[in-house]
Amino acid sequence: MRLEFVKTFIDSTTHLFREVVCSEVEIASIRMRPSPVAGGEVMAIIGLMGDAQGRVIFDMDSRTATRLAECMIGEPAEGLTPMVRSAIAELASMATGRAISEINDGGVSLKMSPPTVISGANISYDHCLETLVAPITTAYGEVRVNITIQDLK
Amino acid sequence: MVNENRASVAREPLNCLIVDDSAFARFRLRRLMDSLDHCVASEAANGNEAISAYKRLKPDIVLMDIVMPGLEGVETVRRICEADPEARVIMISSVSYRDKIEEALAAGAKCFIPKPVTTEELKKAIDKVMDKNEMLDVSC
Repeated sequence: MRLEFVKTFIDSTTHLFREVVCSEVEIASIRMRPSPVAGGEVMAIIGLMGDAQGRVIFDMDSRTATRLAECMIGEPAEGLTPMVRSAIAELASMATGRAISEINDGGVSLKMSPPTVISGANISYDHCLETLVAPITTAYGEVRVNITIQDLK
Repeated sequence: MVNENRASVAREPLNCLIVDDSAFARFRLRRLMDSLDHCVASEAANGNEAISAYKRLKPDIVLMDIVMPGLEGVETVRRICEADPEARVIMISSVSYRDKIEEALAAGAKCFIPKPVTTEELKKAIDKVMDKNEMLDVSC
């Protein structure tokens, strides 16, 4: 696990949340887990590839996703509409894009996939890879950032 | 004769093509363009749709994302500009590292704005891209 990359992802996410959803954020204790933390009703998944590979998963409950998206869209939303899902995907994409931009400017080639958003009850993630989990508390609820990134060696 | 009041002159509404795989991003950019009194002629969710829409509409300006499924943004710009060297494309992406920006500009993009983009940033980019072309036509 490239821990310096993990810090870049977490910093990028917190700065973006402050900027886009105008929310102060707090990071709870960061933990290493054998696999991503499931249990949220909404997951935005982005693949990473290049000199390192892995994935970033933004995991949250549906109420948090809806409230974040309402802030971005600028109007109320009724549940997990397609536009709400798209806003969450875009939030994840912007946070990840910023992070990989900083990593690339530091000399490591890293690309990202377009985001995929899945939603439902009891979502589990079976691909077990050591994951660093950063719970980020926002004014709209908690977002867990699950980061798995390994060198290709 | 140099027009020193160029910056304060209201611009004619531009026809714009928005290219982004994110429905939300397209919604937001449409709102920004509306607030600047420009017209969104069409939207495209991927590179192939963008190329078809460009050929059909010949918009004044294109707002282009980079990370998209299938044909990604820089290659899309390359193909649009190969077909029309006069195309005015502004890249709008969260992927904004130096090499990628240089790649996009080399492919023919005129400008690059990192996401999230504000109304003011978009206006400045549009003015820069449009005025560059206009200035070339000014005879002194």
